[in-house]
Amino acid sequence: MTADISKTGQETPQDLRDPAYLKIRDLIYQTSGIYQPEEKLYLLASRCARRMSAVKMTTPAAYLEFLNNRANRDTELRLMLNEITIGETYMFRSPSQLDAIRNVILPQIVESKNKMGFKRLRLWSAGCSTGEEPYTLAMFLLEESAKQLAGWTFDILATDLNDNSIAAAKAGIYGEYSLRSTSDALRKKYFKTYDDKRLQAADQLKSLIRFDRVNLNDDSKMTFLKGIDIIFCCNVLIYFDLVSKRKVMQHFFSNLLPGGYLFLGHAESLYQVDDRFHLVHFPGSIGYWKPPVGYNAGDKR
Amino acid sequence: MKLQKLEEIRPKIKALQSMPTVPAIVQPLSAMLQLPSDRVDMDRVVKLVSYDGTIAAQCLRMANSPLFGRRNTETVKSAVLALGLKRVQAILLSCCLNQIVPQDKWALEPTTFWRHSLGCALVSNRLANLIQYPDPEKAYLAGLLHDLGILVNTIVCTDEYRECIRAAASNHIPLLQSEEQHLGFTHCQTGKILAAQWNFSPEVIEVIEYHHNIASAPAGRPLVYLVHLSDLLCRLRDLGYGYYEAMGVNLGEDQAWAMLVETCPALAKVDMARLTMDIDGAMEEIVTIVDAVFKPQHAPAE
Repeated sequence: MTADISKTGQETPQDLRDPAYLKIRDLIYQTSGIYQPEEKLYLLASRCARRMSAVKMTTPAAYLEFLNNRANRDTELRLMLNEITIGETYMFRSPSQLDAIRNVILPQIVESKNKMGFKRLRLWSAGCSTGEEPYTLAMFLLEESAKQLAGWTFDILATDLNDNSIAAAKAGIYGEYSLRSTSDALRKKYFKTYDDKRLQAADQLKSLIRFDRVNLNDDSKMTFLKGIDIIFCCNVLIYFDLVSKRKVMQHFFSNLLPGGYLFLGHAESLYQVDDRFHLVHFPGSIGYWKPPVGYNAGDKR
Repeated sequence: MKLQKLEEIRPKIKALQSMPTVPAIVQPLSAMLQLPSDRVDMDRVVKLVSYDGTIAAQCLRMANSPLFGRRNTETVKSAVLALGLKRVQAILLSCCLNQIVPQDKWALEPTTFWRHSLGCALVSNRLANLIQYPDPEKAYLAGLLHDLGILVNTIVCTDEYRECIRAAASNHIPLLQSEEQHLGFTHCQTGKILAAQWNFSPEVIEVIEYHHNIASAPAGRPLVYLVHLSDLLCRLRDLGYGYYEAMGVNLGEDQAWAMLVETCPALAKVDMARLTMDIDGAMEEIVTIVDAVFKPQHAPAE
């Protein structure tokens, strides 16, 4: 059994030099957009080890062959991706994303919308799972409403394919794991006690969020969603093939307002999926920007 | 805050030449760094490293860091071999420069400064390899020294510079912009003066002078573009000046990127997100190395 090494993630360098890992890494990147840089190969190796022991393969090369076999490929890739993106989500999981929104994106949006006298902001959590992300965004916006968003109205759209997730998200009941990065002050302000171990989101948060079941592949529903300022779509596209990914991105592009942003999961890339979005680097994170009509790359933003 | 003119500050920079704190080995070192690797005298480098206990300790720490395989390097000579001559010379130089700033004068935390400088060196080196720039070691050196002017400003106008950095940090603006507002001159200008005085190579001087203003650089200077991008990448990750800079940068539309693409057309097809993630992946390691070299250690190396 090789499963034990996954505990520490500390393989010997010799294992990591196996070229099969690079090939597995590239296969995952091509199919899902999830990228494991050279220095994180030990993580990939430990995930592979778990899958390898499950399918009884003893070497990375054998596992690569197994992955490349048409009969196993789709199922095994999905199981592998589950391992890679494992872990339930929690609130305030990506603070650098929120910093970028607070310090860079919102000032841009506030400036351009103020000119039009249109003080309304709309965010979309596409693939909201059990609701941690939309509730984070709701707290974030409420905190900003005392500052740069004073006098603004906002709403958050939270969608998922899974009915059970949506039901859990609507209930808004969370334990310590989900709340581990939420400060006491925010817990007190935006949650009420549910039982001795869990808190429940206050109505003030819930009233900002509209929960809905949406299949990102459903053209009729996707076309209907308009006027979004920022879309969050974390580790959802990885389960789509290239053709469906491109279709979802086309929808996202038209769902967004000009100048709007799309955020993907950490280590997820849109390369060769959609080149109309512009990759933008923020401190600690990257986002994808929809340029306004007539935007010229030579102009300074 | 009164503005100081570059001309007023120039004599003070001149005086740095004769400062007693400038280690005597800076000059021979920077001359040696310009030689091709095969002409560098290994024994001489080992001697220079051994000359200063702190520097020797820092080389050993770096040689024993994960990037170099975490081997148990015990002698200075084996550390030099493990790191490579050029890398050792670069460490030597940065350690010497570290010593020209008196302890109580630092405006930035010394570790913050060297994290950024060494980080930029390592990212430049990596980027150089990725884009097949012919001299990745030169990119390393240029990255290491690009902010020399920050040391100059720290020494020649300590109080004003502290204020300048404080203002930059509290407004989340680039340091350069704050320098223009508070000092009337920039670390690019002062760094260039000292670098010329110390006979740094012309290419490194260009990097120091133009890394924030690539439009003014003479045409066709890939090293300037490379360090400009590495500097940005470091500041966009955890290797900036120790404060949050509110910026969103489209690297693909950066002028430096466009100019690098001109010298190396294959770059146009580079997967920018993947390149970023590669560098992101390296950041953690870079931070560890920088801390290993420059942070005061409480426990002696094994």
